[in-house]
Amino acid sequence: MTRTKKKKMIGFLFVLPGLVSYFAWTLYPIVKSFIMSLYDWTINPNLPNIFVGLDNYAELFKDPKFYMALKNTILYTIVTVPGQLILGFLVAVLLNRKAKGQTVFRLLYYLPVVTSWVIVSILFQYLFSARGGLVNFLLKDVLHIISKDVAWMSSPKTAMIPIYTLGIWKGIGWSMLIFLAGLQGIPKEYYEAASLDGANGWQQMIKITLPLIVPTLIFQLVMLTIGGFNVFLSVYVMTGGGPMGSTEVLSSYMFKQAFDYFHFGYGAAISVIFFIIVFTVSQLQRKLFSKRNA
Amino acid sequence: MKRAFLVTFLVLVSTFLLGATKEIVFWHSYSTTSGEYELLTKDIIPTFEKSHPGIKVTEVQVPSDEMRRRLIVSTAAAQYPDVMRMDIIWVPQFADIGVLMPVDKEFAQEFAKLKDTFLPGPLSTNYWKGNYYGLPLDTNTRILLWNKKLFQAAGLKQPPTTMDEFIKDIKLLTKDNNKDGQIDQWGFADNGFGPWNTIPWIYSFGGKILDDTNSKALGYVNSTQSVEALKTFKDLYQQGYIAPIGGGGIGTLEGYAEGVYAMIFEGPWAWSIIKGQYPDAEINFALVPAGKGGSKSVVGGEDIVLFKSTKYKAEAWEFAKYMTSKEVQLKFAGVGQMPVLKGLLNEPVIKNHPFFGIYLQQLETAVARSPHPAWNEINDIMDSAWQNSVVGGIDPKKALDDAATQIEKLLTKYK
Repeated sequence: MTRTKKKKMIGFLFVLPGLVSYFAWTLYPIVKSFIMSLYDWTINPNLPNIFVGLDNYAELFKDPKFYMALKNTILYTIVTVPGQLILGFLVAVLLNRKAKGQTVFRLLYYLPVVTSWVIVSILFQYLFSARGGLVNFLLKDVLHIISKDVAWMSSPKTAMIPIYTLGIWKGIGWSMLIFLAGLQGIPKEYYEAASLDGANGWQQMIKITLPLIVPTLIFQLVMLTIGGFNVFLSVYVMTGGGPMGSTEVLSSYMFKQAFDYFHFGYGAAISVIFFIIVFTVSQLQRKLFSKRNA
Repeated sequence: MKRAFLVTFLVLVSTFLLGATKEIVFWHSYSTTSGEYELLTKDIIPTFEKSHPGIKVTEVQVPSDEMRRRLIVSTAAAQYPDVMRMDIIWVPQFADIGVLMPVDKEFAQEFAKLKDTFLPGPLSTNYWKGNYYGLPLDTNTRILLWNKKLFQAAGLKQPPTTMDEFIKDIKLLTKDNNKDGQIDQWGFADNGFGPWNTIPWIYSFGGKILDDTNSKALGYVNSTQSVEALKTFKDLYQQGYIAPIGGGGIGTLEGYAEGVYAMIFEGPWAWSIIKGQYPDAEINFALVPAGKGGSKSVVGGEDIVLFKSTKYKAEAWEFAKYMTSKEVQLKFAGVGQMPVLKGLLNEPVIKNHPFFGIYLQQLETAVARSPHPAWNEINDIMDSAWQNSVVGGIDPKKALDDAATQIEKLLTKYK
C-alpha cells in the first residue's frame, strides 16, 4: 500500500462512523419511506404488502385533512420563526452587555430549551385552561382586556394560540444563544471606532450589529424553519390535533394515519411530501440569502 | 474426582430440567405500584406455576402509554410475547393484521363452553370477521354519578331513571348561584365528544354506530334515534345546561366533588380518584337513564390474547383460561379490577363492594365500541361529527349523514 493510499484509508476510517449512521438513520429511512408510500403497507412482515402505485398520493391530494394540516404547519412556522428570532435577538442584545447576574439570566432563558416538550406542554395546558388558568386571570382580572374567560383549546379559532406561544417561548433560549455567539464575534474595535465618530447606540445597532449578524440570522432561519415544520409533541400533548382538526399539523397527522389507523403506506406518503417541502424551502432560503450576502 | 463428576451430573440434570420448562411471556400494563401488580406477581402467577409444573410465566410490565409503540415495533420485527393483556380497542386491529390467534378455532370445544360465562359486551370486543381472538380479562363502564346535595337543594329526591327525567333534571340543576350573570353550576358535564362519552346517549336513545355485524354505517350512524341523541345533547349544550367541554376547565371529577357539576358519567376509577382528593365527598351512583333504547352504557377494559407465533400454544391457552377463571377474577376484584364473568353479583367481594354491584348491573346491557380494525378512525369521525354539530352548530342530521358516508367508505376497505 502506498503512503497516499494509506492516508486515504485512514481518512475514510475516520468518517466511517458518521457515514454509517447517515446511511442507517437518514438515507435508508428516506428511501424506505418512499418505497412504503407506494404500497398498502402492513407492519406484519409475514403478510404481503400490496403495490398500489401512486394511489396513496392521489388520495392524499384529495384529503381535506391533509390540507388543513399543511396550512396549520405553515402558519405555525410563519408565526413562531419570526417570534423566536425577534425575541431571541432582543434578549441576546440585553445579555451581551456587561451586567450583574448575566450568567444567571442566560441560564434562565436557556432553561426552556432543555426541558421536556411533554412536561412544558402539560404546563401550558394549565396556563391556558379556561377556568383558573393564569392566562385568563391575567387578561381578565389584571389587565381587563377580556370580559369573559376564554376556552382557548376548545375553540378552533383560538386553539393554535397556546401552541404558538409555547413554540416561541421554548425557542427563545436557543435563538438567544446563537445570536450571543454571533454578537460576541463582532470585533469591539468597530464599536469603538463608531463611537469616536459620534455614532449613537441606535446607529451602531443599525450600521454595525445588524449587518454583521446576518450570517447567524440565515443559519437560524433555516434551522428554525425546519424545526417549525417538525412541530409535533406540543400538538400531540395539548390538543391531539383537535378541536375539529383545527390544530392538526403534518407530523401529527402522519403519526395518526400510521400508528393509530395502521395506514403505514399513507403515512409514508405524507412524510415524503413533508420531506420534499422542507427540503425545497431550506434550499431556497439558503440560495436566496447566500446570494444576497455574497 | 468423584465430586467433580457429581457436580457435572447435577449441572447437566438441571439444564435438562430448565430446558423442559416451558416459558410463556405475558405482557401487561399493570402499574408496578398497583395492588393488581402485587397480586399478579405474588399470588396469581406463583399459584399457576405451582398447579402447572413445567410452565413458567414471565410477566413483562410495559407502561400503558408505551405499550402500543412497543407492540408495533415488535410486530414489525416479528418478536411477540406469547400472551398479552390488550386494550379491547386494539384486538380487532391486531387480529386484522394477522398476529393474534383465533382462539375459538384453535380451542373450539373449550371456547364454546366458556363463551356463555362472560358478560356479552366485554366478550364481543374479541370478535372480528367470524372469529374470537381472545377472552375478556377485565372490564369497566360508565354510569351516572349524581350529587345528592345539589339534588336536594333543587327539590329533587331521586336520580333520574328515564331520559326525559334526566333532561328535565339537567335543566333544573343548572344555576347561577352567586348571581353574577355567569352560570356556576351545571346539571351535566363530560370531558369529550368521542363515542366513549357519547355512546350512553346514542344507544340509550335507541341509536347505533354500526349494525350488529359491524359492516354497515349508513342508516345506523345517521338513524333517526342517533340524530335525536345528538340533537338533544346539542340543544342542552348550546342553551348552557351542559358545562363547556374541553379547554381545560375544571375536571369532571373535581367539578362533581366540588358541587359544580350535578351529574356526570364516569367509570369505576372515579371513586378512588375523588376520595383521594376529597376524602369527605359523598358519591352516589345510578344507572344511565333509560331512553327508547333502554339504559345503555359503553364497555371499557382489556382482553387476554394469544399470539399466533407462540411456541407453547396449549400452555398459553391454559394461562389465559386461568386468568379468566372465577377464582382469579374474584381475587382481582378484591384489588379493584372489575370481573368479566356473569352471575357474580351475589359473591361477597362484589356484594360488599361500595359500587361494583351497580357497575356490573350496567355491564349486563353495556355495548362495546364496535369491534372493528378501523375503530380508531371511526372514533375520530364520530368525534368530529359531534363537535361539528354541538360546538360548530352544524345541523345534527347533516353532521351524521356526512359521518355515515365517511365511515361507510372506510368499511368497504375491510370487506
